[in-house]
Amino acid sequence: MVRFLLAAILLCPAARAAPGAERRVVIYDGAATAVGAAGDESKDLWLTLADLTAATRFTLKPEGVCRDEQCFPIPAGRAKEFVAQRGEVTWFNLSEFGRLLQQPVAHDAKHGVWCFGPRPSVQNAHVASRVAPDFTLPDLKGKDHKLSDFRGKKVLLLTWASW
Amino acid sequence: MPVWQTLYGELKKNNFEIVSVAQDTGGAKAAGPWVEKAKPGYTVLIDTQHEVTRLFDMVNVPTAVWIDEKGRIARPNEVAYADNRLKALHGLDAEPYLKGLRDWVANGDRSPFVLSDKEWKERLKPQKSDHALAAAEFILAEYLHRAGNRADAVAHYKEAQRLNPDSWNYKRQAWALGDAERDYGTNFFKEVQKLNGKPYYAPRTLPEPKEKKN
Repeated sequence: MVRFLLAAILLCPAARAAPGAERRVVIYDGAATAVGAAGDESKDLWLTLADLTAATRFTLKPEGVCRDEQCFPIPAGRAKEFVAQRGEVTWFNLSEFGRLLQQPVAHDAKHGVWCFGPRPSVQNAHVASRVAPDFTLPDLKGKDHKLSDFRGKKVLLLTWASW
Repeated sequence: MPVWQTLYGELKKNNFEIVSVAQDTGGAKAAGPWVEKAKPGYTVLIDTQHEVTRLFDMVNVPTAVWIDEKGRIARPNEVAYADNRLKALHGLDAEPYLKGLRDWVANGDRSPFVLSDKEWKERLKPQKSDHALAAAEFILAEYLHRAGNRADAVAHYKEAQRLNPDSWNYKRQAWALGDAERDYGTNFFKEVQKLNGKPYYAPRTLPEPKEKKN
């Protein structure tokens, strides 16, 4: 029995995340991460705190939900909408956090995939500042290049496609 | 690509770079043969999620943005043909665009082709929330397609197209991934015909040359 459980824990990412969790995929900042999520009782995506950080780099702290130097406080009186304690496990509602930050969210129920887009203030920063939004993309050999690596030169940023 | 390469050869000594980004969910496999054939000297990047399309609110290819030495946008996105091979289709002469580009590389902020702050404010608007959601649907579709769930990806490509009907990138990319007639009930040429002459790219708004008055 112990051996069977151990095998299940090793093989199934959901079991590794938390008991009662199902396998989901979160696409955040364009990167896909397999996570365990709470069962079907909610339409929202509830993650363990470890999976929250693995998928989004956000961490739950006393001052709010934080990443790098930035913290988003949980609105007063609404803690239960964001954080739930079930037994040993603390769950975080990434869907509610997405609504708080006004992120666009696409969802495929059949495959359990959730895709979170950027906050409007991030997406639209260049409209006010006129500074080109930065990005990092690979060349054909897989080497990453940042647009801002070309600062100091005039750049023609050109898009094309094979289709 | 060969025309951009010639232009790059001409202008790179003036502190000028071309960063060319393939909007291709098929990645290096789809875009690679084109690059290997043309062997451009400038930087070519692969964008499987059409991130640059989203960042700059682009609607088709070829589209270009001019960015100055400080990282500031001199001209926002607009259609950018380097030659007249497809002129019969879109009716745009490439020459005025290339002339403007040369002028900007030579004169920087003094070039009349740099958008004034007034024009910028008139033209640049925050992304519509539907378009933001379309971009998320598109990335989800790309993920499902790549994971082998091709039939299920179609619903999300369609949702991206519904939310952002102006984006020809989201249409043309999806149509190219399989049988467009079977999956989407249409194809590129049928859709272009439906437009009846309305442009299917971000229009070019180059300053008109001043005509001599008699």
